[in-house]
Amino acid sequence: MQPFALNYARPAAELDVATPYAYDPGLQLNVLFDGRIAATDLALLRELGTTTSTAGSKTHFDD
Amino acid sequence: MTVLILTCDQDVTADMVVVHLNASGVPVVRLDPADLTGGAALSGEYVHGAFRGHLWSAGRLVSMDGLRSVWVRRPGTPATRVAEPSAWLTEESSQALYGMLRSSTARWMNHPDAARRARYKPWQLRLAQRSGLPVPATLITTFPQAARDFAARFPDLVVKPVSGAHPQEPPRAVPTSRVAPDTDFAAVAFGPTLLQRRIAKRADIRLTVVGERMLAARKATAPDADPEEVDVRFAKDDRPWRSSDVPARIADGVRAYVRDAELSYGAFDFVEDADGTWWFLECNQSGQFGFVEVDTGQPIARTIAEWLARPAADRPNRVNGTGTRVP
Repeated sequence: MQPFALNYARPAAELDVATPYAYDPGLQLNVLFDGRIAATDLALLRELGTTTSTAGSKTHFDD
Repeated sequence: MTVLILTCDQDVTADMVVVHLNASGVPVVRLDPADLTGGAALSGEYVHGAFRGHLWSAGRLVSMDGLRSVWVRRPGTPATRVAEPSAWLTEESSQALYGMLRSSTARWMNHPDAARRARYKPWQLRLAQRSGLPVPATLITTFPQAARDFAARFPDLVVKPVSGAHPQEPPRAVPTSRVAPDTDFAAVAFGPTLLQRRIAKRADIRLTVVGERMLAARKATAPDADPEEVDVRFAKDDRPWRSSDVPARIADGVRAYVRDAELSYGAFDFVEDADGTWWFLECNQSGQFGFVEVDTGQPIARTIAEWLARPAADRPNRVNGTGTRVP
């Protein structure tokens, strides 16, 4: 009784990467532990994949 | 005049835009609806024929009249971070927040009504056709025989979710997948199934539209790529995205699409075939863009910031209030 499309399902790739930054409500930005703004470190963003189009999001349809 | 960003704390992609807004001195209030009624609060009154509303988030107070734009990025579900969340409280909070925001003259990226409609992939396919964009032959059906007939006409097929949603419990993803020639389609009867002619691609295209501006990126398919690996999100290929020009016909079609969809932002996915034709796959009205900017250096975040920073319209010039003007 499983829908056809679910024959092609695979475990979701959850982004369980521990991010080396935390949200600062005063700045309204995520800040690295060394005080720099995370969004300005493009090499880090590439490495973490946190801005990447991913499938399997629990909360959002759009990738 | 303030830019209101509705998103969650961990949305570092939104940060890329906030950095630009800060640099240009545009006030920003970032609010996660999930924080209602703890870290975020609201109030609005309708008295003597007038409306006055305010939002508060993490120590910042903003008037609804003082909003120039609202960016709906990755908002949490309203009031889900309270001590005793409930479906009722979520609905109450959602009605209060989004109902009052609809009362403002702020420009939206994207308006919730336009966003909701834009998520329907069957509607996307028809709008893309009407907009003159090439759309691969597609079938959405619960009839196994219709699937068999379609497979006879188009033997090389892929299957993908109709909704773009992914099943939970346990969390699973349903990538666009190739359908084997001898597949049994009986299970099509148990759920709407989207089958589409596979395009033998030589590249994936991500075209990001911000207002009137188009920023296209292209990721070439590796010569030795596994033909079974059709979904770029799952591909092992780590080739970077590169900036690309947009063919004139595609640009015309995309303009028509965002105009009719009343979107001020859209992330279009195409695949490029051996002839260079861009085939429309979908348009994510809130698609990610950070990964493209990181690879290509395209100023997507800056362009979004500039769009958000424009003055509010005196009155919405379209039904959904996006204020988007597409030439």
